[in-house]
Amino acid sequence: MLLEIKAVHFGYKQEAPILQGFDMNVARGEFLALLGPSGCGKSTLLNLAAGLLLPLDGSVKFNGGYLHGINNNVGYMTQGDTLLPWNTVAKNILLPLELRGTPAQERSDKLERALKLVNLGEARDKFPSELSGGMKRRALLARSLIYDPPMLLMDEPFAALDAQLRETMHKELLSTVNRLNESVLFVTHDIAESILLADRVLVLGGRPLRILEETMIPWGKERNLDEIRKSAEYATLETHVRGLLRQADAEQYGDREVN
Amino acid sequence: MSTNNTPTDDVPEHLAKAPVRKSRNRIRMENLVWQIAIGVAFLAFWEYASERWISALLVSKPSRIAGTMWEWTVDGTYVKNIWITLKATAMGFAGGAIGGMILGYITATWRRVGEVLEPYVTALYTLPRLALAPLFLMWFGLGMEFRVMFAATIVFFLVYYNTYFGVREVSNELLAAVRIMGANRAQLAIRVVIPSALVWVAAGLKISVPYALVGVVVAEMLASDEGVGFLLAKSASQFSTYGTFAAIAALLVMALVTDWILEFFTRRALRWKTVGTSSQQQHG
Repeated sequence: MLLEIKAVHFGYKQEAPILQGFDMNVARGEFLALLGPSGCGKSTLLNLAAGLLLPLDGSVKFNGGYLHGINNNVGYMTQGDTLLPWNTVAKNILLPLELRGTPAQERSDKLERALKLVNLGEARDKFPSELSGGMKRRALLARSLIYDPPMLLMDEPFAALDAQLRETMHKELLSTVNRLNESVLFVTHDIAESILLADRVLVLGGRPLRILEETMIPWGKERNLDEIRKSAEYATLETHVRGLLRQADAEQYGDREVN
Repeated sequence: MSTNNTPTDDVPEHLAKAPVRKSRNRIRMENLVWQIAIGVAFLAFWEYASERWISALLVSKPSRIAGTMWEWTVDGTYVKNIWITLKATAMGFAGGAIGGMILGYITATWRRVGEVLEPYVTALYTLPRLALAPLFLMWFGLGMEFRVMFAATIVFFLVYYNTYFGVREVSNELLAAVRIMGANRAQLAIRVVIPSALVWVAAGLKISVPYALVGVVVAEMLASDEGVGFLLAKSASQFSTYGTFAAIAALLVMALVTDWILEFFTRRALRWKTVGTSSQQQHG
């Protein structure tokens, strides 16, 4: 297992605990989606894996070692635009390598590879303010992959994109991730996104957070998203997960009417 | 037969009159002409109205003022006093800005320090700076130090607040991302926090330069025997309106020139902000 979250407790003072003895694993090369209503605590799980948050009890193990602080062996991509606006695309993508003191030759080799991977060679000398939304996403992806982390942590990375662009980015993400055999921990509240991208989906809900259902996605690594969208199996899965998510929503908001 | 309906006759004329958008340079030239025209008209009106409609003792006359300005230029009064005022302004600005940036960064980075110092900073900020003048006079005397300190206290708070908010504004998402990429505390400060805050700091610096000049001139008027502020106060005390206007003219020129210089530097430092969004305006 690449990531092992075991019996983890987490919460804030004077609030109901978010996690109480939570267990979760991600295997090497696996694409795991965490699906749940917003505010349920799925981002907390992601931040525990990133080492941005430390468990109050229990353990987070990454790549065989226990995490006690920031996890520098993951790529991290969130919804916001976290490119440095005063640096060009190339400088932005190189940032992790510069911070790590990677030798110059290796740096430029890796930059070429990363630019090629996300198809941004033309835009290398542009500033983020000159990029489209999709190009920004690609630059962020390249930046989180350039130091070859075995796992990508993604927190609703495409939530701010329009539907069409999101579909394009889904395809690009899958092909990139498959080529590199990356593990991905993907947080989303978009049902379609989770079913289309992941190998396994955990539907989460309740407080403290629990796994409402673990769903194995049968498409395999080489998948054609357009074909899948049209299939009956996809529709069945989608309806099923939607039902689960409604249940999670109902739990989250208590007595209040949902939909 | 149907000549009335054929539009071909109209086309050449229509094309010749096709409207063309004025180029940016053309507009800029026209603006300059207008600006000069307004200035000249104002001076001409002043020259004409003085003594005819309003007592020259009160408003003087542009020709008389120009005479004084020429006199001061030739005998070195201008050079000497402007230089003294500029030097005090620059020193007051630099001292206040550096202090403001350092304290702003510290209080924003170490939250507890900021929380503890907050009431003191607010109290000092709200205090009318002029109230400090007598105290400063006792401490520093009539010399350069008084003027510099007086200007610095004004600049300090402007830069302090801008730095403080600039550092606090840096998004947590960005900080988290860069930490995961491998940045240590120092790298985080140099690569992310300081450049992010720079937009705010630059704004603070830019607005505080005129205030530094105000501080120095006020201090010179209060108690001094040199500088443009002194020139102004002395002329006024002798009821010499032309001398007062000649001193004000020097201040006007100084203010304009410093603003141009600042504009040039901030535009260069913040080039990344304007590129892409307003590049058409700048280059075309």
